[in-house]
Amino acid sequence: MSDPTIKDFEAALTELDTIVKKLEDGDIPLEQSLQLFERGVQLSRFCHARLEEAERRIEILNERGQLQDAPAGLLTDEGDAPKTRGKS
Amino acid sequence: MSSFFDLPFEEPAFDESAGKPAPDPEHHRVLTVSQLTARIRTLLEEQFFEVWVEGELSNCRVWTSGHMYFTLKDKNAQIKGVMFGSALRLLRFKPADGLRVVARGKVSVYAPKGEYQIACEHMEPEGLGARQLAFEQLKERLSAAGLFDPQRKRSLPALPRKIGIVTSLEGAAVRDIIKVLSRRYANAHLVIRPTRVQGEGAAMDIMRAIRAIGRVRDVDVVIIGRGGGSIEDLWAFNEEVVARAIAGCPVPTISAVGHETDWTIADFVADVRAATPSAAAELVVSRKDDFCARIDRLTHQLNTTMQARLHRLEARLRMLEARSGYAGAHGRIAMRSRHAAELSHELRRAVRAQLARRERAYHALRLKLETFDLRRRLGTIRARLATADGQLGAAFMSAHHTRKARLGAAAARLESLSPLAVLGRGYAVCWDAERTRVIRDASTVNPGDRVRVRLERGELDCDVRSHD
Repeated sequence: MSDPTIKDFEAALTELDTIVKKLEDGDIPLEQSLQLFERGVQLSRFCHARLEEAERRIEILNERGQLQDAPAGLLTDEGDAPKTRGKS
Repeated sequence: MSSFFDLPFEEPAFDESAGKPAPDPEHHRVLTVSQLTARIRTLLEEQFFEVWVEGELSNCRVWTSGHMYFTLKDKNAQIKGVMFGSALRLLRFKPADGLRVVARGKVSVYAPKGEYQIACEHMEPEGLGARQLAFEQLKERLSAAGLFDPQRKRSLPALPRKIGIVTSLEGAAVRDIIKVLSRRYANAHLVIRPTRVQGEGAAMDIMRAIRAIGRVRDVDVVIIGRGGGSIEDLWAFNEEVVARAIAGCPVPTISAVGHETDWTIADFVADVRAATPSAAAELVVSRKDDFCARIDRLTHQLNTTMQARLHRLEARLRMLEARSGYAGAHGRIAMRSRHAAELSHELRRAVRAQLARRERAYHALRLKLETFDLRRRLGTIRARLATADGQLGAAFMSAHHTRKARLGAAAARLESLSPLAVLGRGYAVCWDAERTRVIRDASTVNPGDRVRVRLERGELDCDVRSHD
């Protein structure tokens, strides 16, 4: 997953952007454009992977700075929240 | 004369002269100034233990002691006042000259100067709500400090690793946020730092919560908020400690104090303001949607651009082929296949030549590199080797000597333990015929068996005749 040539999601996205622009301009030799294309595919895969990577989780940070899983009541969608205060 | 009698000043004298038989002895006692002042103090301080007084502030001055001295006045009178630093700090607005206020306090007497004053415990601006004024003043101060500058605003992370939430677990806000995120961003990772969001101490609690959550690993955006409520309910979000904590948060912040129309100080300081907690969650999510779409679009563009390029090349190739092979259908096909063959042959030759050229260049380079490197480094290596050799030799020799000495000692020790040494003293060892075990018990051999007996020098092959 971790590719040393890719810094992070945003960097990957920016690079992909640049590559597509370069390819569309078209003034580059075939060989180089193939290289760019390959790199582009690599970046695109990285971005997709990052989008799907995170796991769904809800944690509570308590007063002592410890992380605990949230009580199940918070996760379940019990219809509407009980008695909303005011608007929102 | 009559005018004289009319003077009130004369009245007591007159009354007295009218002859009260037993005048209060008190009236005749001469008091010291201190005694009088003490009586006045008792009188005033008991009478005006807690009063509310309204008036206009003037001569406001805060001393280095932290206490504020001022005069409270109206059209016809004025009274000096003091407010101690401890009470002053709790005010939500900054007292200033010309401000009309309602003050609560007690009258006290300052004996050394013969002055009385009101010691204020609390004051509020009259008319304009204290809170509103406090709000305006804080806003102005923080704005002057640059906390609202657009340049300070950070953009939200493209794809938050963990989303921090500072809110009450009891309120609607937390559920609203979870609901939106679960619906649209199934794999969101939330870290919630519960806090009180209203009432006494809420501001400090929120501040601590923001500080704590900003330090959690991978939390790269923090939503700070609560569900809607009256302006009083939202007040904690107008406190300076909260504003400063938001400004000091190491990661971008979204304020989500559920109030469409009223902005809180938190809204001004946060990097992004959302009208409600749900809206804050939408903001985080829509960023993800944006990115999904953008990646898909880019990937698509990448593919189509490349394909288009290849198609163009293919078409050009066909055109070239067609042009060169224009000589009737048959001829064309023949020409084309020949042409193709030639082309591929040509191509192969070109590639091979290119490869060969590169290989030669590579070898030449490598040779150059090697000889250059070797010649230059050989000298130094040799020199180092020579010294190392000497050192090594010496080291080896000394090691060798000690080793040899140790070996001799070990051998001597071993010698003393060797069974051969025992044999030297005339003992013998008896083995079975195959020399697989030492015979220690006569009953383990039978008459007729063969055994071998090891002496100090040589062995005997023996037959057992009997044992007892």
